[in-house]
Amino acid sequence: MNLSKYLPMTETTYYILMALCEPGHGYAVMQKVEEMSEGRVRIAAGTMYGALENLGKQKLIAPVKSEDARRKMYQTTSEGRTVLQMEAQRLEHLLRVYKKMEEKE
Amino acid sequence: MRKLKVFLDFNEEESYLNDMARKGYLLKKYSTFGIYHFIEGEPQELTYKIDYKVFRNHADFEDYKALFEDAGWIHVYGTKLGGNQYFIPKNKGADNEIFSSRESAASRYKTFYNLCSINVAVAAMCIIAVLSTNGFNLSAFGFLTPGLWDMAGADFWRAFFFELPFVIFRLLGPILLIGMGVVYGYWGSKAKRTYDLQMKGCENR
Repeated sequence: MNLSKYLPMTETTYYILMALCEPGHGYAVMQKVEEMSEGRVRIAAGTMYGALENLGKQKLIAPVKSEDARRKMYQTTSEGRTVLQMEAQRLEHLLRVYKKMEEKE
Repeated sequence: MRKLKVFLDFNEEESYLNDMARKGYLLKKYSTFGIYHFIEGEPQELTYKIDYKVFRNHADFEDYKALFEDAGWIHVYGTKLGGNQYFIPKNKGADNEIFSSRESAASRYKTFYNLCSINVAVAAMCIIAVLSTNGFNLSAFGFLTPGLWDMAGADFWRAFFFELPFVIFRLLGPILLIGMGVVYGYWGSKAKRTYDLQMKGCENR
């Protein structure tokens, strides 16, 4: 599968995939993302639900068994992990290039 | 109290419900084709938020409602297949949104547009099916009395009014189907335009 079509990622998607490296339900992800981003990225409920739906369709996350009867649990798949890694490398590169330019000045 | 209203813009619909709450009419139920059921209560400031979603099964619908409840919303009304999902914040006056990106807010219009397209396709197929029962002979839906149009005076009117109810009955189905196709086609095209417009706004950002 050609995973590079998922790049570049939105900040929201990037955080969700990171948050779901450990299994969690929608609201847990919302809280985790807010915490990870130090309150900067706050995902609203409707946006969260739509994002989980889309990531599920793209097979970057998958449902896992949930102890809660009402709330579905998801986890980042191995494809999701790969995409996350590719995005991190892309960002790292951007940062490196920027720092090089800064040093020159 | 019941009110018949059709909105093709979620923001306008939200403002309408907020206005009604200010007058003391609180949304209890929404039924298809735009009938809003209100109960009378304390006039109050509410901020309704509307999502548009249909669900494949009960578990998905419950999961959806649970997520909104966890995030501080009350699901006021909405059914698994009805589309419109109405929410108010648990804490009154909270300045909250159910969408944090313009793309996701715009996606409501896409869902609605897709649903309209399906309805138009269903209406078209039904019309074709009805027409095919008569071998696509359109005159078979009109007056069938032999020599009707050659009659004159009282004979004509008697025969005409005798058959009229049958003609109406024959035409009712196709006309309703055509009406359904036109209405959904119009709604769908409006929703598509709104969606494209909102997504264009996203690209330019």
